[in-house]
Amino acid sequence: MMGLTPYLILSAILLVLGIAIIISKRNAIAMLIGVEFILNAAALNMVAFSRHGIGALSGQTAALFVIVLAAAEAVVALAIFLNFYHTISTVDIDRGDQLKG
Amino acid sequence: MLEIVIFILFAAVAVIAGLAILVSTNIVRMAYWLIAMLISVAGLYFLMGAYFLGVIQILVYVGGVAVLLVFGVMLTSRQMAPKLRPGRVEALWLTVVAAVLLSGLILSVVRVRWEPGAVVAGNSVAEIGRSLLGEFLGPFELVSVLLLVAMLGAAYLARPKTPVQGAQQRKGTTAL
Repeated sequence: MMGLTPYLILSAILLVLGIAIIISKRNAIAMLIGVEFILNAAALNMVAFSRHGIGALSGQTAALFVIVLAAAEAVVALAIFLNFYHTISTVDIDRGDQLKG
Repeated sequence: MLEIVIFILFAAVAVIAGLAILVSTNIVRMAYWLIAMLISVAGLYFLMGAYFLGVIQILVYVGGVAVLLVFGVMLTSRQMAPKLRPGRVEALWLTVVAAVLLSGLILSVVRVRWEPGAVVAGNSVAEIGRSLLGEFLGPFELVSVLLLVAMLGAAYLARPKTPVQGAQQRKGTTAL
């Protein structure tokens, strides 16, 4: 029977990987991938806590909500990126330096 | 023992996928590594007995979000794909920030003595459904409204900018 610590450590590693991906990439879609990493790390954390008797099944339900929110976020972010691409014909984040479309 | 082996397997896949995304410069490969990470996290859910969550993870994430990302890649990056590799100084800063954050997190996780609580065998879909319609009814309704808003918002944002003009042009060319 494994304890809680390995899951928490894995979750921390995934979180840091996600942050590193968001920082290092200039492609908007790659940054979205980093966000997915962070959300998965959080959900894994909650499921691990729920598995070990902290908060009963609430952790699994919260992870369910995280999955739903990630789907909605990906849809809206991709729509924004498509607009971005149509406006300045690239997905380079550094080129998006004007608010006027 | 078997549990530890399976955990290490899935965890290794997830971490390797993250590192591969970090060093990769090809956006399509990044999307496929993301799928590998999502599937291994789903495997960890199965390992923890959260079967329903694992299935939902594969259905929604791998079947929906990842495919959406691949579509986004196909619709956007043609030849104007931005330079994906950070510069030397940026990479150094990135390593420092990530190392500090990771060591802080792992130290704080390891130093806490987690009380080994009773392992919840709550894998039944019925229990999750009951908590969704009982304890979490408010968030559940909010999420349904949010999904509707996200769907409408995405459809509005991604619409073609000049639909009428395009239609007229097409009509003109067919008439000619």
